[in-house]
Amino acid sequence: MKNTPQMKMAYESMKPGIITLDGFLGSDSRSLMDIIVADEAEIARRGLTSAELAQNMRRIRDEGRKGEGLFEFVQPHFDVLVESVRGVLSCPFPGCGAIKKVNTTVVNKQTGKTISFSDLAIHLIEEHSFFQGRGSSFRLDPCELIEILEIKEDPH
Amino acid sequence: MDFQFGHLITSVLIVSGIATVLSILIVIADATIGNYGDKKITINNEKEIIVDGGQTLLSALKSEQIFIPSACGGRGSCGLCKLKIESGAGEVLPTELPFLEPSEITDNVRLCCQVKVKADLEVTVPEELFKIRQFEARCVSLVDLTADIKGLRLELSENDKIEFKAGQFIQLEVPVYDLTPEAVYRAYSIASKPDDDGFIDLEIKYVPGGICTTWVHKFLKVGDTVKFNGPYGDFYLRDTDAEMICMAVGSGMAPIKSILTHMAHRGINRKVKYFYGARKRDDLYNTELMEELEKLIPDFNFIPVLSRPEEEDNWSGKVGRLNNILPEYYETAQGMESYLCGNPDALNSYIAALKNLGLRDDEIFYDPFA
Ligand SMILES: Cc1cc2nc3c(=O)[nH]c(=O)nc-3n(C[C@H](O)[C@H](O)[C@H](O)COP(=O)(O)OP(=O)(O)OC[C@H]3O[C@@H](n4cnc5c(N)ncnc54)[C@H](O)[C@@H]3O)c2cc1C
Ligand code: FES
Ligand SMILES: [Zn+2]
Repeated sequence: MKNTPQMKMAYESMKPGIITLDGFLGSDSRSLMDIIVADEAEIARRGLTSAELAQNMRRIRDEGRKGEGLFEFVQPHFDVLVESVRGVLSCPFPGCGAIKKVNTTVVNKQTGKTISFSDLAIHLIEEHSFFQGRGSSFRLDPCELIEILEIKEDPH
Repeated sequence: MDFQFGHLITSVLIVSGIATVLSILIVIADATIGNYGDKKITINNEKEIIVDGGQTLLSALKSEQIFIPSACGGRGSCGLCKLKIESGAGEVLPTELPFLEPSEITDNVRLCCQVKVKADLEVTVPEELFKIRQFEARCVSLVDLTADIKGLRLELSENDKIEFKAGQFIQLEVPVYDLTPEAVYRAYSIASKPDDDGFIDLEIKYVPGGICTTWVHKFLKVGDTVKFNGPYGDFYLRDTDAEMICMAVGSGMAPIKSILTHMAHRGINRKVKYFYGARKRDDLYNTELMEELEKLIPDFNFIPVLSRPEEEDNWSGKVGRLNNILPEYYETAQGMESYLCGNPDALNSYIAALKNLGLRDDEIFYDPFA
């Protein structure tokens, strides 16, 4: 992905208070492209892709939805809470659509570790390979995601 | 509705790649072309307004106090700001395509946040949108209704009055404050009744990391000036005699409260049950008001339902989810009307349960974007 005008517009929308309260960049001083490239490289080292991570997040969220706002057990050993708020949020990348305000919290009961992500985060990972800047309270460290959600390389 | 939304998002995503590239080219072109001078917008073949060219149609209309629904602040991502533009808008832009059905394109429907006023325009604005206005108010009360829901009472400027239907919502302006460099808007249902001249009540639940709710819960003070526009929405009390089933969770209480207090005030004595879902007893609120309304509306029952009561709650009322409780009260709901408010996941399960009881789609009312 090149550092295009699209990236520049996205970068501006990612500042605090434009789309979300704290923005998407945290204290990261790297360019948007550098953030994306570094995370993609890490995922590739694990034999995975951003799309595969997003698919796993989506699957767990969909299973967790059955709890209708309460924790739901999801195989193999996750407790999943899906909470939604009325309304939509824009993706900071221009030309994308509106994303519902849904938050998913996953507790891996075997390791005791917890991770939370919003539907916007799933979209950002799936469509833009963007896990957000370091220091952003909504950053999802790819390694942590892979570990807590136990995402395995597809043997095929 | 959820399916439609899912379908919408899927189509949005498919076209977004191409749309993005083209929209950037448009942005660059616009920035370099610059000033368009004054332009004339003819509205409904009747009214003519002169505006500065170059701005979006959404902004141009707003500057003339004509408010078009928007949930994304003009970012081209909600698809709500559709208007018919008979002439002058040029080709449909790639950023609009994901939101427009082929029949709408044929009908000259456009996203007015994407269309720039570069030539004289002829537009059709639905009559009901002329009722939408910008209001200035003072926050006269701010109370904790639960640990995470605040009740706000806003007093409109002197002699001002908002005309709305019980159940409708407004867009609250979050002003530039310590945490936002530009104003943003969020939708909130009006919790008070239309006859409360000069005042409106809102009930706002705190969302961690949320722009507007952080402002309301942590920055807003009694005495502050607040701006909003409205009213909006097709979710309002219908003028029929049908028996009503109301269902809400969390801050979804607000529009149902508006509907019920309106009924009590106007003496609308329809048979109505209101199922309200909360997690534990502390999350219940407005219960005293509901008891009062049970006395004022002859055939009204308030049924609070807890999904996870705590031991110290000593709860002897209903436990479970609203959709599962319904069959205890109704063998069939045929011919009734239902008014629903809550988060999208809850809504989907309520709708399914009501349809199982025989309600038709056109008898179930809720805010589609909520
Ligand atoms: C018709 C309608 C009526 C409504 N009425 C009411 C009402 O009466 N009462 C009420 O309380 N609410 C109501 N709402 C909801 C309200 O409009 C807001 O959506 C809600 O209050 C949250 O707004 P916010 O600005 O605080 O949160 P926002 O800032 O819009 O969203 C916060 C969420 O964004 C996500 N997020 C934030 N930062 C990031 C990031 N960096 N990366 C990924 N995700 C991120 C998280 O999921 C977070 O929870 C209504 C909505 C509609 C559409
Ligand atoms: S205002 Fe949201 S798409 Fe136009
Ligand atoms: Zn996007």
